[in-house]
Amino acid sequence: MKNLQITTAILAIIIVMGFSPGMTGQSLSGKQIIEKVYNRPAGDDQTSDLTMTLINKSGSQRVREIKQFTMDLGDVEKSIMFFLAPADVKNTSFMSWTYDSDQSDDQWIYLPALKKTKRISSDSKSDYFMGSDFTYDDLGDRKLEDDTHKLLREETIDGKECYVVESLSKDEDYMYSKTLVWVNKSNFIGVKKEFYDEDEDLLKVLAIKKVEEVSGIWVITNSEMKNVQKNHRTTMVLNNVQINTGMSASKFTERMMMRGM
Amino acid sequence: MKIKGLLLILLLSAGQYTKAQNLDLSGFARSYGGVLFNSGDFGIVQQTLNLNFEQRGNKVAFKANPMVYLYDADSLHFNMRELYLDLYFDNFDIRIGKQQVVWGKADGVFITDIVSPLNLTEFLLPDFDEIRTGVIATKVNYYFGNSTLEAILIPVFTPTEKPQSGSIWYIQPDFPVTPTWDFSRETITPSLESSEVFLKYTALTSAIDFEFMGAYTWDDNPTLHMQKEFGVDPGTQQPILTGLNITPEHHRLTIGGGSFSTEIKGVILRGEAAYYNGKYFLTEDPLQPDGNIQKDYLHYLVGLDFNLGPVKVSSQFIQQTILDYDNYILNEKTENTMTFLARYDMFRETLHLELFSYIGLTNEDALIRPKITYDFDDSFSILLGSNIFVGDEKGRFGQYGDNSMAYIKLKYSF
Repeated sequence: MKNLQITTAILAIIIVMGFSPGMTGQSLSGKQIIEKVYNRPAGDDQTSDLTMTLINKSGSQRVREIKQFTMDLGDVEKSIMFFLAPADVKNTSFMSWTYDSDQSDDQWIYLPALKKTKRISSDSKSDYFMGSDFTYDDLGDRKLEDDTHKLLREETIDGKECYVVESLSKDEDYMYSKTLVWVNKSNFIGVKKEFYDEDEDLLKVLAIKKVEEVSGIWVITNSEMKNVQKNHRTTMVLNNVQINTGMSASKFTERMMMRGM
Repeated sequence: MKIKGLLLILLLSAGQYTKAQNLDLSGFARSYGGVLFNSGDFGIVQQTLNLNFEQRGNKVAFKANPMVYLYDADSLHFNMRELYLDLYFDNFDIRIGKQQVVWGKADGVFITDIVSPLNLTEFLLPDFDEIRTGVIATKVNYYFGNSTLEAILIPVFTPTEKPQSGSIWYIQPDFPVTPTWDFSRETITPSLESSEVFLKYTALTSAIDFEFMGAYTWDDNPTLHMQKEFGVDPGTQQPILTGLNITPEHHRLTIGGGSFSTEIKGVILRGEAAYYNGKYFLTEDPLQPDGNIQKDYLHYLVGLDFNLGPVKVSSQFIQQTILDYDNYILNEKTENTMTFLARYDMFRETLHLELFSYIGLTNEDALIRPKITYDFDDSFSILLGSNIFVGDEKGRFGQYGDNSMAYIKLKYSF
């Protein structure tokens, strides 16, 4: 059994989600821009099918398939994932409760072979999720105050006018020395993000390839993270996205972890 | 062999049936071989086919999990590990049939995890999901909030499965004379009165997860009641032991316990304890004519899981204590054990390095299990490992010093 430790709500990629179209924000600071990105409306609940494809430098692929559910309960966001493929992790499930306060995430994993739900540490932010190029931190709900944000410049990418914001972590032990994010000026949706390693060399590039509107909310449905140093990459595709379905909070319990979808 | 062949054909043709019935089929095929360090003999040569047939609906689910072990060309072992039906209601579920039940927070140690008995025919070496034996039971889970109340009734008692003589894991009991065995009282006839009952309350909260359990069960290991026969040594005219009649018998046990798991600054703290009321222990007390005495017994554990950089580490301290102990009892009053696990995943989780060890602190012995697993792809993996038994030959692990081995497992999952 692979050791699966996963952080919250993989569908988030919150750093690149949109806010409200039409805002010009020309006098905005770096912090204000990132705040608008973070505070996008995401709906009360979301369901989607995630396909993650790991591609190595020779082009060979490994595919992970996940069914995921997320629900915002006010001061806590709960998510649950059911692993469908590959075969050796099938029926494994993962549940995470993420708090608006400084309280650490609560995370559990259900291992069907062991028939056991285990509480796991949320102190694994720099680990890579299921062997992909996304770390738990990349996928998680990073807080605005965790970083110092600075507007560097404005640039046009693929015909989209963007703000370029540099974020430096306040935590000296953070895995990235800095990140740069390109934010679409018209809708505050991220377009691209660069991650720099401890030596300040470019490590990874996240490219947003497709954004779709579902129930009035913009969702990134296709993205790719490339490790430019090791020349491997991971694509992440969301299908069957549903928002505000009226999901029950009872979905996020040990019962459902063990029972499955 | 005809029956076994027919069985295999049925299993292999099941794939076609699942398509017709829209059943979900998964499982693995595994080839496993091990060579003993001392003799160079094969300690194990095993081929395994594990099939999971599942069908899940909103109200009903079904699972069958047959496993086939082939030890040599003519030694086929079939095991229906699980075969059950699930019924789902608004606030409760019912599971009926043969099932494995896992309780507690301990890893690799069985304290409150006593519902499913163990298959110890290969000691503690199989994967933990294969060590547990399925039990025929009715299980009811009632849910409220983040809590669960679980009740289990087991009408058919299943004992611990132990290695047979001839197995490298069989330990010849040390008796002063060759005993005569009477197995007439070992079997428990299934009835309502002889059923086992288990209850558990579980809560999973943001601060802590915990369980409380109680059981009115049978001791999975039989008590060896002994009747001694004495004669007179013609030389010394002293009484000497001339015969020994042993009658294995399972006895009732009442057990209460609990477990918890919580996170403190990135470290998972786990604990588990069980109190066994009236467990039998072998004794040399001359006032105990059948060589056994009942004592209460405490078994508990504390454990930590944490990360050392990219390495996942887990360690547990386990203590077993016989209460109201007297020096005639053959077991130690207190037995301390530790477990240690370190795991490191490399190359995008395709190469896994792991070291697991049981360390007997009381007897100064250990089982050390290093292994390395490489995933060629998402379906196929190869595992190279070793089981190294060291320390006092009287210890639980040291007694298998001749069974240290290197092994290889090839596994195809589907």
